[in-house]
Amino acid sequence: MAEVEETLKRIQSQKGVQGVVIANSEGIPIKSTLDNSSTVQYAGLIHQLLLKARSTVRDIDPQNDLTFLRVRSKKNEIMIAPDKDYFLIVIQNPSD
Amino acid sequence: MTASSNSDVRPVGKLQRVQGGAHHRAEVGEDKPIHGLYQVGGQGDWSVVGRFLGMCCFRNWDHTGGLPQDGDLLQAEAQIVDVAEDLGELVCTGPQQPGTDAIWSCSFPLPQSTSALSSLGLVQWRGGSEGGNGVNCRGWGRLGTSRIAQVDFPPKELVSYSKETQTLLTTHPLEVEEEEEDEEMDVKPGLDSEPPDEDDAKETKDVLRELTEEERQQILHSAEFQSFFDCSIRVMERALAEDTDIYFDYSGRDLDVSGGSSLSFSRLFYDEHWSKHRVITCLDWSPQYPELLVASYNNNEDAPHEPDGVALVWNIKFKKATPEYIYHCQSPVVSVGFARFHPNLVVGGTYSGQIVLWDNRSHRRTPVQRTPLSAAAHTHPVYCVNVVGTQNANNLISVSTDGRMCSWSLDMLSQPQETMELVYNKSKPVAVTCMDFPTGDVNNYVVGSEEGTVYTASRHGSKAGICEMFDGHQGPVTGISCHSAVGPMDFSHLFITSSFDWTVKLWSTKHNRPLYSFEDNADYVYDAMWSPVHPAMFAAVDGMGRLDLWNLNNDTEVPTASVIVEGASALNRVRWSATGKEVSVGDSEGRVWVYDTGELSVAHSDDWARFARTLVEIRASHGDEEEEGPMELSS
Repeated sequence: MAEVEETLKRIQSQKGVQGVVIANSEGIPIKSTLDNSSTVQYAGLIHQLLLKARSTVRDIDPQNDLTFLRVRSKKNEIMIAPDKDYFLIVIQNPSD
Repeated sequence: MTASSNSDVRPVGKLQRVQGGAHHRAEVGEDKPIHGLYQVGGQGDWSVVGRFLGMCCFRNWDHTGGLPQDGDLLQAEAQIVDVAEDLGELVCTGPQQPGTDAIWSCSFPLPQSTSALSSLGLVQWRGGSEGGNGVNCRGWGRLGTSRIAQVDFPPKELVSYSKETQTLLTTHPLEVEEEEEDEEMDVKPGLDSEPPDEDDAKETKDVLRELTEEERQQILHSAEFQSFFDCSIRVMERALAEDTDIYFDYSGRDLDVSGGSSLSFSRLFYDEHWSKHRVITCLDWSPQYPELLVASYNNNEDAPHEPDGVALVWNIKFKKATPEYIYHCQSPVVSVGFARFHPNLVVGGTYSGQIVLWDNRSHRRTPVQRTPLSAAAHTHPVYCVNVVGTQNANNLISVSTDGRMCSWSLDMLSQPQETMELVYNKSKPVAVTCMDFPTGDVNNYVVGSEEGTVYTASRHGSKAGICEMFDGHQGPVTGISCHSAVGPMDFSHLFITSSFDWTVKLWSTKHNRPLYSFEDNADYVYDAMWSPVHPAMFAAVDGMGRLDLWNLNNDTEVPTASVIVEGASALNRVRWSATGKEVSVGDSEGRVWVYDTGELSVAHSDDWARFARTLVEIRASHGDEEEEGPMELSS
């Protein structure tokens, strides 16, 4: 448990990282370094995006599955590592 | 009613506060009831209306058991009160006639003293009113102290969800449904459409519910979460570390165009623990791995328990900001270099005269080999170490400031293979501060001395020792560099020197006077080095934090590019990387700055010819000034 904290802290202190959110498969946030409202927003919206992305990948090839999702926007980059039961979101500003 | 300003101060007695006085602050002319009961011990009773901490008012009145009235007399009848605490002496400073306002002062420390208030100690009491008598307070006002009530409102917590339940999803809507339905039935018996809607709404709301702390902890401790976290965090860190910007536009629309053709800052190497408060004494790039750079540091005066000599190996290929290898030794390291034919070894020359060898195959941070501190080796600081020769026959050459040159074999550092005293004209030895070998030469080399003279010397042969003297600098020579760019023409007879006399001078081994003097600096020039790829370029650093790149084909009067490092600390060393694309400078604060030279240092094929022409021009212009002309020396 302490290593989870430490690891999150380490990631958070990396250059350009704006926030880290861990949520469960329903989109309910478990742990986050952002404030409550942003956390909830990210968790909910990313959850929907994940569902869509995963279904897209599987529709194209049923043997395939989604492993990583990176959304690059003008201001930052959202990296999502999904899993069966949880997903990890890291928001980063790559130009920093 | 006028209050006369007769200030007649008489102590009356101690003012005592009765517990339970309420708090109210009366303003002048205020028509409000104010509470609080005070008693002045011994001398009658005063009913103080008001709060003693603020603007209080109290009058002396004649108690008839009721409320104080306007014009009450000074003397009052006894009133049974509970004495609580002594507040201080009550002093009357005004007239004491009935019907007039009496000015009473009492000095006491305020119970809740703030630093400003406690110094006051004197509170002015003014008259006020009670019971709606409407008596105005008169009297001069002296600033009274007022208590600031501090109220702390906790910040408003924004809760985004309206519901927080612990029951399971499946049961919840049913229960609520039933309740709702019951209520609905009671209120609106006819409407059936509402419950299903509410049902859906409640279900979606339930899906978005927050997890309670226990649930969170439970999840975080579960094994599957740990395994998920392990895997995904690994991938995430890799993804995070690669921060290349895929949107980079090479057309330079987003950047300023000048970025490519000038000196641009690339990296800064600094370690909090090992670099702080240490001056960088030497830099060297690895011949085998062009991305490795070793920097040696002087001692840290603020940390006497730390090792005096530190050498750090930095890597410019990776973005990590910590050194690849950390080496230290007991004596300050004043020169360092990678052993050219031994990729694992780093050679250091120390202030004590010892030469130390570090090996990156061993895990030790201390040297694996050391030369002995004996009179056979060096006893003075070794400012120059250099590995010359070939793969099979190489030697470590070291020169110390007492003029002794030693040649060592890297396998055996217990005693030098040969030693030589560098003396000029059989008089005193030369105090060598810097040394360089021309490209490809293992026998002849040039040294700069503390007196400002430069000498050529040979290791072997009939003229072993100092050969020629070159005089020109007016201060100690700090850096010397032989021309090293290999190209169609050979300029290896050229060398540059930097000195405390604010100049960099260009010499040829064929003439004992400088060919040219570059005088653009305004401080000690601490180091200079030819570019390894461009025949006409060299870099120089000075004590004002300036890094200059000179391109003699462009201009011999001013540097082609110049930059002042951040912080403008004195720069001690400059070294080009082997490719000539980067320049590293070390400063007096322990920082290594790596600058990208970009387009500037790219050598074109005609640069050699142009440089030859430049040299001719330099010689021509310089030769006019000197009547005697430079003496031709046999090289």
